[in-house]
Amino acid sequence: MSSSAVWKRARALGVIAVVAFVGCVTNRSEGLDASKMPESVRPDYEVFAQRCSKCHSLARPLQSGIEDDAFWALYVARMRRQPSSGISMEDTTVILRFLHYFSEEQKRAKAKPSELLVAPAPAPAPAPLDASAPDAAEVAQ
Amino acid sequence: MTPSRRSTFLPFALAVALLAAVLVPLRAGAMERNFAGSVQLDYHFVPTQPQANARGIGFDGFTTEAALKVTADISDHISANVKVCYGCHGFEMNMAYLDLRAADELNVRVGRFSPSFGSFNLRSDTANHRLSDKPLAYDMGRMLRLRTWNMGVLPSPFPDNGVEVNGTHWFGENVQGDYAVYAVSGFKGDSNGFDLDFEQSRSGSLYYVDNNARPTVGGRAALTLKLSPTSDMTVGASGMYGTFDPKNSLSYAIVGADLVFRFNRTNLRFEYLARRQEFDTSDASKLAYALAPTGGNFFVKHGAYGEIEHPVSKVVDVIGRVDLLHREGNVLRDLGLTRTSSVLRYTVGSTFAIERGFRVKASTELWQWSDRDGSGKNLDVGFHLAAVGSF
Repeated sequence: MSSSAVWKRARALGVIAVVAFVGCVTNRSEGLDASKMPESVRPDYEVFAQRCSKCHSLARPLQSGIEDDAFWALYVARMRRQPSSGISMEDTTVILRFLHYFSEEQKRAKAKPSELLVAPAPAPAPAPLDASAPDAAEVAQ
Repeated sequence: MTPSRRSTFLPFALAVALLAAVLVPLRAGAMERNFAGSVQLDYHFVPTQPQANARGIGFDGFTTEAALKVTADISDHISANVKVCYGCHGFEMNMAYLDLRAADELNVRVGRFSPSFGSFNLRSDTANHRLSDKPLAYDMGRMLRLRTWNMGVLPSPFPDNGVEVNGTHWFGENVQGDYAVYAVSGFKGDSNGFDLDFEQSRSGSLYYVDNNARPTVGGRAALTLKLSPTSDMTVGASGMYGTFDPKNSLSYAIVGADLVFRFNRTNLRFEYLARRQEFDTSDASKLAYALAPTGGNFFVKHGAYGEIEHPVSKVVDVIGRVDLLHREGNVLRDLGLTRTSSVLRYTVGSTFAIERGFRVKASTELWQWSDRDGSGKNLDVGFHLAAVGSF
């Protein structure tokens, strides 16, 4: 076996490995950081994370871009009906409760920059961000 | 356009047309639809082959697999799925089906889909399984000596045209039962074939049409038990039977059993498959061994694996797997197999979550063959390094 051929291929692997290693130090999980959630939401998130990572990564639902409760209901119902999903009707209620919280948080995060832009410049605006997210506050309690 | 270009282009054009057909009415009717997709780039390095070049016995170097899927919930009772894949075969139509659902317990699936078999089927997308390689029993083209072995027992995914009736039912809050029965075109092969012809079976250039008009039938039943709020167990059994030649004289039967445990985020999986494969015996000179007076017209291929996936941190999962393929029966002359051949593969690997939806997979494989190759070797080592993104 030619050692130069081996080393050429090993170098290609090495380059990818270095890129991968550098990427890894960003230390990002595919799920969410439960410690940053309101305490009342954490048990719901645990059920979501447990059930919805059985067949695919959590990135699938979390990056789906869905923000509508009715759409989530159809989505979760479709997943519940998957063979061996392990998602019962009771789990469905809990998962949808978490996804409602998550969607509202997503909406809040999106709304922030635009609301800041329209806020009157001279005087501080009276908390427009809180007013825009009553549902999220409700769920978080 | 040359015939070969046309054969590559047609499935792609068909896929685009189907995607458009699903999307355009949805836009008008404001129906719920969801896009999902994945891309994986894998580098496979086999230092034990001469010049570290494994092209003669498999696919090494870079390979890309990509998939795009759209799901549309047309109403509470009807949904549509279309999935297009790109990989070593070029563009393929992996899914194009409608689910017509009367109740959770009664769903009718019509179109092109992978019929229900085993536990791996649902995870066959590259973004859903944590190693670059599939289990050997389900291997499609990444195994070494793939032409000698003609791949695994049941290459996955195995999309086919047909109809499936399936359903799920919860018995209380802790027991879920699933079933599926189906009739599909089935795998294809020649009249004088010695095994299934997987290229013919999947080829878009044959327009995804049947070669013998007799459906392959099969089914699956599974039971999932919740052992605790964070653990469950699934036990399942599957089977399919059909003929693969144009004259309907050569049959194949595949059976499988699976057992999967999930403790918190740790998965422990065991699966066994076996295929009894009839072959043409009209030209015995092609065979390596004399034909037995009775029962010499088939071989049996067994495949099994045990696998553990365990998250060691929020970003790192480790995976260990042991695979077995074992083949018994007559074999084509000069193929490099004997009456009883086997391969054991040991794999250790890990995945790193770099960002949500973006992972790096790394794994090492040790292959232990029962048959020595031309240079007298019966061991191979392979390394995989892959990046996979899902959206």
